[in-house]
Amino acid sequence: MDPTSIGWLALPLAILGGAIRVSTPFIFVSIGELITEKSGRINLGLEGTLMLGAMAGYAISYLSGSPWLGVLSAGLAGMAFGFLHGLLCSVKRVNDTAIGISLIVLGTGLAFFLGKPLIEPKAPPLPSIALGFWSSVPQVRAALDVNALFFVGIALAFAVYVFLNRTGWGLMLRTVGDSEDAARALGFPVLRVRIIATMAGGFLAGIGGSFLSLSYPGSWSEGLSSGQGIMAVALVIFARWRSVNALGASLLFGGAGALGPALQGIGVTGYYYLFNAAPYILTLAIMVASTSRAAPFADAPGELKLHR
Amino acid sequence: MSSISGIEPVPSKPLVTAAQLSVALPVLAVLLASAVFAAFVALSGQNPATVFGLIVQGGFGSSFAWQDTLSRAAPLVLVGLAVAIPAQAGLVIIGGEGALVLGGLAGAVVTLPFAGVHALPMQLLMLLAGALIGGLWFGLAGVLRQYRGVNETISSLLLSYIGIAVFHHLTEGMLRDPASLDKPSTHPIDPSHMLPTLPGVGVHAGLAVSLLLAIAAHVVLRYTRWGFALRVVGGSARVARMIGLAVNRWILGASVVAGGMAGIAGAIEVAAVQGTANSSLIVGYGYSGILVAFLARHQPLAIVAVALLIGGMQASASLLQRRLGLPDATMLVFQGLIFVCVLVADAIAQQLRETTRR
Amino acid sequence: MSVPQVELKNMTKRFGANLALNNVSLLIRSGTVHALLGENGAGKSTLVKCLVGFYHPDEGHIQVDGREHRLNSPKDADALGIGMVYQHFTLVPSMTVAQNLVVSGARLPAYINWQSELRRLAEVTKKLPFHVPLDVRVSQLSAGEKQKAEIVKQLYLGRKLLILDEPTSVLTPAEADEVLGHVRSLTRAGELSAILISHKFHEVRRFADDVTVLRRGASVRTGAVADLTDDALAEAMIGEPVSKIVQHAPKSPPKSDIILSISDLRVNGDNGLPAVKDLSLEVRAGEIVGIAGVSGNGQLELVEALMGQRDRSGTIAVSGSSFNGTRLEIARLGVYGLPQEPLKNACIDRMSLAENLALRNFDRVPLCRGIAMNYGALAEQAERLVAQFRVKAPSLTASMSTLSGGNVQRAVLARELTQDVRLLVASNPTFGLDFVACEETYRRIVEARNGGAAVLLISEDLDELLGLVDRVLVMSAGRIVHEVSAEGADKRVIGKYMAGMKAA
Repeated sequence: MDPTSIGWLALPLAILGGAIRVSTPFIFVSIGELITEKSGRINLGLEGTLMLGAMAGYAISYLSGSPWLGVLSAGLAGMAFGFLHGLLCSVKRVNDTAIGISLIVLGTGLAFFLGKPLIEPKAPPLPSIALGFWSSVPQVRAALDVNALFFVGIALAFAVYVFLNRTGWGLMLRTVGDSEDAARALGFPVLRVRIIATMAGGFLAGIGGSFLSLSYPGSWSEGLSSGQGIMAVALVIFARWRSVNALGASLLFGGAGALGPALQGIGVTGYYYLFNAAPYILTLAIMVASTSRAAPFADAPGELKLHR
Repeated sequence: MSSISGIEPVPSKPLVTAAQLSVALPVLAVLLASAVFAAFVALSGQNPATVFGLIVQGGFGSSFAWQDTLSRAAPLVLVGLAVAIPAQAGLVIIGGEGALVLGGLAGAVVTLPFAGVHALPMQLLMLLAGALIGGLWFGLAGVLRQYRGVNETISSLLLSYIGIAVFHHLTEGMLRDPASLDKPSTHPIDPSHMLPTLPGVGVHAGLAVSLLLAIAAHVVLRYTRWGFALRVVGGSARVARMIGLAVNRWILGASVVAGGMAGIAGAIEVAAVQGTANSSLIVGYGYSGILVAFLARHQPLAIVAVALLIGGMQASASLLQRRLGLPDATMLVFQGLIFVCVLVADAIAQQLRETTRR
Repeated sequence: MSVPQVELKNMTKRFGANLALNNVSLLIRSGTVHALLGENGAGKSTLVKCLVGFYHPDEGHIQVDGREHRLNSPKDADALGIGMVYQHFTLVPSMTVAQNLVVSGARLPAYINWQSELRRLAEVTKKLPFHVPLDVRVSQLSAGEKQKAEIVKQLYLGRKLLILDEPTSVLTPAEADEVLGHVRSLTRAGELSAILISHKFHEVRRFADDVTVLRRGASVRTGAVADLTDDALAEAMIGEPVSKIVQHAPKSPPKSDIILSISDLRVNGDNGLPAVKDLSLEVRAGEIVGIAGVSGNGQLELVEALMGQRDRSGTIAVSGSSFNGTRLEIARLGVYGLPQEPLKNACIDRMSLAENLALRNFDRVPLCRGIAMNYGALAEQAERLVAQFRVKAPSLTASMSTLSGGNVQRAVLARELTQDVRLLVASNPTFGLDFVACEETYRRIVEARNGGAAVLLISEDLDELLGLVDRVLVMSAGRIVHEVSAEGADKRVIGKYMAGMKAA
């Protein structure tokens, strides 16, 4: 069928499909970062974790033939990096922003180094669910060809909401992140909780990375991640540290990220690079709109040192 | 009692002084990072001794290696300053890459209408244009932080990505030289406007520019009231306001000057190496600058030394690639390890200094 | 569980070379309130932190009902029914009271069904003497309500020995009476014992049965409150016969010229809501005007707006010229300040003592010519000020954070009061300082006043305030609600205005 036959509808469809694809890693990374930040720590190193996860997921999927095993390994690799971050930040007087940046360098370096032999081979990708089976229009089918991880991500957002509000451990995590004094007075193991929260954040960021290499774009290259890890930090601020908001924000960011390719798909190529920068511009605009000088981070966990 | 009344002698003499600690610990940290790196290359089937030998050889082993190292060090010094100067005011700005490429673009196009004009003013104009655009780019991050409360670390990185997109858009669109086929570039600058090579060193004059700027930064930060005020602002914005310093202006000023440094780095790359603005500018100098500044603890003169070291390491990457087939990223791993170890060592040093007092 | 008798025996605790507790013993009889008196740094908090398992004593032990126990963590104290209400509350601000109660329980529930949980909590807390709303976020409670919520939490957890750390420092006199009165009646009823940490004699006298005075880590006096006079307690605390704390120099009648004039000042707090509302006041040369009020009623924002640290609307004029806190205006109009917690609010902790002493004049001759700093002159000035104000420090180049609290304060006094001061803004200037440093601060403030400066003194300590000022303003909910001269001041009336019980 001629792609122009559905006319202008092709654009919103392409953006919808793209939003679902592009948002999936955002969902995982931002919810991971949210868990970490709820413990009172900030992990700026998720950019490195993402790359490491992408590489590890691709490598294991290629070696084992099972993409799901790849996803799990990506999570474990991310968790190991989260553990490293959590451990290093437990040294008194260490600057967690700087540690995050250093782990971007290290994570990216390791991913590139170990991923060098993976650029050529083709690993089995993650399967997707054809929700567009009912339609004969190829654009609809393409847009609704949704990866299973997307649904896992949605479930995750709600599960984290329940965890933070309706479980004892969730309340403990929030206590540690909100008031270290209170946590210590209650005898909570503050450092251990933070390390575990950072590991959980790393685990999810690793999974987010595996989506990049195993589903969309779906191959291993050194240009896979371009700031998603950092944008996730901004996204968590925008979502005001609420997991369901983070899900919505991820979809919004995904839509912005899908704008450039979607426009290119229908033949608008003139501003390709600028449209591709839409997620960054959107992030920045949202940060400007959602913070203010008077009360920059009113809902932020009390122990989070976002603005020194 | 010492000669000053009221000043009591330190109760117990610590085993090592703070000054000794602040040298010894980073050295130990680099040694530890090297050991971990050695284990890493050993695991990947290489002889660590060979690798370290090649790093030294590739970075500092010959006059050719030195030239390569020095011409890499020139931009590294500047992007290092671009992180270190705002750090004095308490900011962590990490978007040097964007300011660098836009500064390079500005430098590449600003002299195009003036082909054939005397070189020196044109060279100054290129650097100035780079500084201006770079300063503007970092200034934005400063404005957003001071007037909107947006975290400057995140905003500067986002601005960096946006800057790179703008760079691509312009070099592949409006400002593209139609003759540049496979690598979209701007029109080449007049060859007579290129920065000369320093006699006797074999490295372009951009190295001298960056050294001069590092020395200037050192003098200003250490010996003037501007440096003093900036340290007050960085130490505590509350106290700075109490004593009447216009904190917003100081932070903005530091951001703009820092962006200017990164912009000059880009302009130098164009005016001394590339002769045109194209994607060869985007090689990650901006990100290396973060590493350089943190390892040098944001001290301008130390930045020169660290930039040499990092420049040498990066210069040796191609030798490692040719001789051992190790990927470029090998050096990234090593740098990451050093970065992590030095940060932790710094924290421990600070802790020790505090406990020896009490 | 009956109320246990708790005894601390021969407790000694060292921090490095510093002897924080020296062979201290303490007996809390079942069903009594035992007051711990002492200056800052006397060892009160170290002692109770051993009792709640934060610190482990180097020597000595803790007996509960005659049996020795080793407390390794707050959990162990918890198991013995010992709990502490901290001065800085340890409720989680972003969580509701109910969530705070659940999270502090001995066993964390896996899954919480809030409906049934809230019903259960309402049942339990109904029997307690205080009422606190369960479903309100702690950040929205007033200081008094937070204090009550803390105590409710302790009672909910079945604590039998309650440690109250300076509980009234954030309360109005009436709130303090209510809270301590309830604790008192609970102990009388034999449901509780309590340790009351305080430095206010009248509180100790009204609410405690026994008292122990600590000085420099040692127990110097202990006995029934009824057997000890205020003078005896004061002497034990300070270690010398007490003189009148502040000698008011004979008050010269204030000169007529108005130095500070604030009108229609509006300032927002950190939460973006108005904290200071249409406030106007004047301070004349040669007078100390005190602002009384419970913490959090806009005093902080007022001071920050005055010092140019916060955006505002309305006018602030000093000696008739508009004042916005620029460096030029500060020097020309002579506006200086003594903030609370001077290390945090008046010093750069990582800069050296000498540099901190130069913060006011680093950009003027002789410390600076053109743009070039003269570090020789800077060191000379520091040497002079350190000698003049007897600042004790490891060296002039030592970073500020190595100085003790009293010496940080002396350094700030030296820096601020050796300028040409025409307006001095002091905000809780003695908060957390030891007795000697307090007294010196008072003396310097009075000296500044006698030298003709206008002084605005903001203090949450009503006794301190009434001892120093010429005129009192009471601040409540961002407004000045009451004004009275020092001679006509009545503590009870002021207390009522502080509590917002009387409208302006």
